Amino acid sequence: MRYEFRWGMLLEQPYFTWIVDAIATTLHLALLSWILALAIGIAVGVMRNTPSRALRFAGALYVEIFRNVPLLLQLFLWLYVFPELLPKHWQLYWNRLDDAPYWTAVIGLSLFTAARIAEQIRSAILAIPPGQFKAALSTGLTPFQMYRYVIVPYAVRIIIPAITSEFLTIFKNTALALTIGVAEISSVARKIEAWSFKGIEAYTVASATYVCTTIAVIVLMGWVEKRAYIPGLIKREKSDA
Amino acid sequence: MTQPIVAIRNVCLDYGGFRALDGVSLDVNVGSRIVICGPSGSGKSTLLRCVNGLEPFQSGEVFVDGVGVRTCKDLPKLRLGVGMVFQHFELYPHLSVLDNVTLAPMKAKGLSRREAEEKARHYLDRVGILDQADKFPARLSGGQQQRAAIARALTLEPKVMMFDEPTSALDPEMIGEVLKVMRDLARDGMTMLVVTHEMGFAREVADEIVFMDKGRIVEHSGVSAFFAAPKTARAREFLDRILLKI
Ligand SMILES: Nc1ncnc2c1ncn2[C@@H]1O[C@H](COP(=O)(O)OP(=O)(O)OP(=O)(O)O)[C@@H](O)[C@H]1O
Ligand SMILES: [Mg+2]
Repeated sequence: MRYEFRWGMLLEQPYFTWIVDAIATTLHLALLSWILALAIGIAVGVMRNTPSRALRFAGALYVEIFRNVPLLLQLFLWLYVFPELLPKHWQLYWNRLDDAPYWTAVIGLSLFTAARIAEQIRSAILAIPPGQFKAALSTGLTPFQMYRYVIVPYAVRIIIPAITSEFLTIFKNTALALTIGVAEISSVARKIEAWSFKGIEAYTVASATYVCTTIAVIVLMGWVEKRAYIPGLIKREKSDA
Repeated sequence: MTQPIVAIRNVCLDYGGFRALDGVSLDVNVGSRIVICGPSGSGKSTLLRCVNGLEPFQSGEVFVDGVGVRTCKDLPKLRLGVGMVFQHFELYPHLSVLDNVTLAPMKAKGLSRREAEEKARHYLDRVGILDQADKFPARLSGGQQQRAAIARALTLEPKVMMFDEPTSALDPEMIGEVLKVMRDLARDGMTMLVVTHEMGFAREVADEIVFMDKGRIVEHSGVSAFFAAPKTARAREFLDRILLKI
């Protein structure tokens, strides 16, 4: 029996709504997780360079755990084990939550990616000339202000390319959320195949979603990189080394 | 008699067994201009960093305007009174020159943006680079960058200015413009603590010279006395080498 293509069925209901919803879910799941990952990653990356041993240790522990346990396993842990550890009334609340799998995916993806971003931030901070820290402190900034206004903005500009690739990774990793029941584009493709036996069409849409978004992100971040480009920033890094 | 604005009392600093400062004492009186010189590794930069609490030291004490650095609970506030200029300028590369200068006045001193910019423009004008205010530091020449860094320190209106070899990273043709700014500052009565090997500047501007070697002050005298006849052999040797090179 030959496979009969029927691309038109992708525009029929309920498939069309499923696909649109799934693409939307995939996009905001990735975006939200990435923003959280960025915030947590910066905080942990800074912790790893502070004079406080306890903070440095906590930061290192975080990175080693979240970077090295496979993401799939982390998602299962968050979905099945984590709620068991919550106090009773929180547990009830969590179980009643309709989008528990979605939020589980947000937590899992952002904490996993944060560990990777923290490493980038940490090495970017190490690449900043020590005089920058001294200069900032010498003008009366507190250590927090120094990081907030000088060190972190500097470090983030150094790692913009890395942050872009982390977004692309997180975006592809959203596919793993299907294992915990999030209706993102990969899982919906699978569902459409089960309903209609039109697997090729469905998986093509899913793949196209990833490819198109990736291209869009690369173009967008190229633009951001140009906007945030600071004359002398990278050059100085090299000439000092 | 007024108390010295900076009083360094018997400061000792070890870097894991290596003695970088070995019982250094020095008074900086209001309005005085002290030049510190000495061979590489003698502890000049380290000493400046002790004054504003950037480098923790093991014993002794530094008083800034009567406040002990080692016991100080509010170092950021103490540092507002001590301007510092670095060999490599250390402007923030991601901020425009104007933002470099207004950052600390706004965040550390709590000035409004308007007040901070007004002050910043005043001092940028004073060092002669007001027209560069909106550029990024890397677009400026070395001399202009160092003048911007001086303006950044001045805008906080410190009681004393410290310079750590402010001209030694500059091309010869730019040294003059930075020294001129420093000379003007001295003429206006700024209290200055300057690490430099520019002996012409020292002779003209300083009233005291401190010569350091191996973490100690080995000679501390008036300018004319120092240049006429250094008391110690080490200082004489050093001076000969420096002056011959020029
Ligand atoms: N963070 C540090 N850790 C260990 N040793 C240090 C550190 N900073 C400085 N030293 C050492 O302390 C000594 C004094 O250094 P310092 O930078 O104060 O010298 P300097 O007089 O400013 O020299 P230069 O003319 O080269 O700038 C040097 O031998 C240096 O190697
Ligand atoms: Mg030095």
